[in-house]
Amino acid sequence: MSTPTLGLDCDVIVVGGGPAGSCAALVAARAGLDVVLIERGPFPGSKNMYGGVVYPRILDSLIPEWWLEAPIQRWVTRRSTMLLTDTQAMTVDFRSEAWGRPPYNGATAFRPDWDFWLAGHAEAAGAQILTSTTVTGLIRDASGAVVGVHTDRPDGDLRARVVIACDGVNSFLAKEAGLYTHTDAKHFTLGVKETLALPEEVIDERFNVRDRQGVDIEILGGTSGVNGGGFIYTNLDTLAVGVVLKLPALAAQKARPEDIIATLKAHPAIAPLVQGAELKEYSAHVIPEAGLEMMPKMTMPGMLVAGDAAALCLAAGIWLEGVNFAMASGMYAGEAVIEAIKAGDLGSKGLAGYERRLRDTFVLRDHRKLRRAPKLVLSDRVQHLYPAMVANTVERMFRVDNPAPKPGVRRILREERKRAGVKLSDLARDGWNGFRSFG
Amino acid sequence: MTIGSIVACLKWVAHPGEPNDERFAGMSPADQSALEFALQQGAAMGVGVVAVTVGPAGAERVLRDALACGVARAVRIHSARPMQSDDVAAAIAAVIPDATWVWCGDYSLDRGSGSVPAFLAGRLAAQQALGIISVSRSADGVIEATRRLDGGRRELLSVAAPAVVSVEGATAHLRRAGLAALRAAGKAPIEVVQSSTPAAPYDAVVHPYRPRARALAAPAGDAALDRLRALTDAGAAVSARGEQVTLEPAAAAAKIVDALKSWGYLA
Ligand SMILES: Cc1cc2nc3c(=O)[nH]c(=O)nc-3n(C[C@H](O)[C@H](O)[C@H](O)COP(=O)(O)OP(=O)(O)OC[C@H]3O[C@@H](n4cnc5c(N)ncnc54)[C@H](O)[C@@H]3O)c2cc1C
Repeated sequence: MSTPTLGLDCDVIVVGGGPAGSCAALVAARAGLDVVLIERGPFPGSKNMYGGVVYPRILDSLIPEWWLEAPIQRWVTRRSTMLLTDTQAMTVDFRSEAWGRPPYNGATAFRPDWDFWLAGHAEAAGAQILTSTTVTGLIRDASGAVVGVHTDRPDGDLRARVVIACDGVNSFLAKEAGLYTHTDAKHFTLGVKETLALPEEVIDERFNVRDRQGVDIEILGGTSGVNGGGFIYTNLDTLAVGVVLKLPALAAQKARPEDIIATLKAHPAIAPLVQGAELKEYSAHVIPEAGLEMMPKMTMPGMLVAGDAAALCLAAGIWLEGVNFAMASGMYAGEAVIEAIKAGDLGSKGLAGYERRLRDTFVLRDHRKLRRAPKLVLSDRVQHLYPAMVANTVERMFRVDNPAPKPGVRRILREERKRAGVKLSDLARDGWNGFRSFG
Repeated sequence: MTIGSIVACLKWVAHPGEPNDERFAGMSPADQSALEFALQQGAAMGVGVVAVTVGPAGAERVLRDALACGVARAVRIHSARPMQSDDVAAAIAAVIPDATWVWCGDYSLDRGSGSVPAFLAGRLAAQQALGIISVSRSADGVIEATRRLDGGRRELLSVAAPAVVSVEGATAHLRRAGLAALRAAGKAPIEVVQSSTPAAPYDAVVHPYRPRARALAAPAGDAALDRLRALTDAGAAVSARGEQVTLEPAAAAAKIVDALKSWGYLA
């Protein structure tokens, strides 16, 4: 372990023991730097929630064969996308046996388990983890560079060569540092979730899986008219059922998130899946939804921002991936810090390797590729008009109206588009946007 | 090994609801109070406090918490398995024969029989002040302690060293560790000693005796507050249900047993 420069308490302070913070601390500590990770909860992960699926491919290099030890609930082998109206449901369902074998694809996991496990790796690499400690502000030198943090403990200042802010969505540190030029409620969604207990065999049977296979269902519609989406994930003996709601829409409709989940659970396509389940937990958290549109400046002299603190969560309709983006950005922040300390330059230039890594990898590439997706998916037409249009079209395609002959699909589509009040020009524009976003 | 005169006995306990999960383990509230009193007394007397625990290596976390809060030394008496209360007391007594003030939590969250402090006082031939809810120190080093009795009664004790004092959980609020101390505690050395007493196996989980539930008539009173008062005795002048006697220990014990039988606590 290196000896920090005189007047400094350590080399690197990482704020936040979520996936971003633990990966940053792990990488920096492995390089022999003196790393302190500060977490406000009593243990890393204790305060954290999410929907429930991690995609840990990025860990292959950091923790080889992570799947042998990671605290997972089920391996996701089925992915479904469900479109709901009040009385209809259309599902596209995919399953792959390959996702149930090493090296796996996605898995359901509880955050208090996952984050604690990752933080354990950082600690084993030599990082010191200080829990039940909240960072309350930044220490800056005369030039404005960040040189440490204030905490809520007595004698609570800690000085370091560099601070990596991984304090999650709505990062007070990034805001205090002036890295966000503006924040807007429309850039955020509120995610709420119920954890519902059912016996393992019942989940296996209802979701048509076995041997720790799991299911990820993403839902469009079913959010009581509030723009957003829903999800159902299978844990070993619980289900995660939740909704993600656009904040201004939620406020405007004066709707209560728990009522929206209750309505979703009562939907005829969902009710049989959750019947008889016992509510174990209700949790809620804000999601930085707007991607590129809301991202802050990633570095300033003496400080980098990673994970949700940098709005790096990818929330693009059928994709809700934040943990892998957090782990990757944390890792890259750690690498950039090692490089900058070696070069003896912790200014913007010295830390530029961080943004370069983000730009050159899936982190910003996926965001750039899917930059139109969040807006499109949460738009009024996609939310309120298209589900009914598509569901009614499919219903008529499969309805047998004898003695009337089967109508052509084009005719049904035209009629249903008109019935739904969708202009052809809007449909074409959204189709083109969708193609450019997801294509 | 000789150990300082003010000792805090601390136990690392699993959360009763999550017995196998270290994330939820910690120091019982009563032990936190004990540690705070020990630290206050140590500061007043200008003496460093020693924290002692009995347990496996994992139990050192409780000592690191104590170090972060300001104890001067931390000693773990190694024991890989749970031990009977008297064995725990014997193991501690063996390493703190000269202690003058020993602070314990009244009872831990996991076993909660509150017997270790009593056994410890017996082993150290020290005074015992158990189940204490408030403490003040007088100038001559004597401790004035208030002890909770049944029926809302209180007993006032003057305790002189050497003594074992066990305190209830809400009696004192453990200070928040400073940042530098917290960092240093993570790396501070912890003395480990092997228990000198061969421990009897401890498998059974013993819970303190709890009287059976009895059906009671609904409390009288028109207002909710009156009914609450009737239920709890709160604020009411307690009627003297007990009697005060002065007896030899054997006769006193027999009288207590008779009383417990007549109240239905003993068959
Ligand atoms: C409802 C919902 C569903 C989601 N579903 C998924 C999903 O299925 N899959 C997926 O990959 N992603 C999902 N996400 C996104 C994912 O949860 C986040 O992107 C991810 O947690 C970001 O990790 P992070 O380390 O950046 O931040 P966080 O996980 O938020 O961690 C931040 C940490 O910093 C600590 N902290 C904050 N402030 C301070 C401070 N001042 N001092 C000390 N510590 C502090 C916090 O306690 C916390 O431990 C979902 C999010 C929500 C809300």
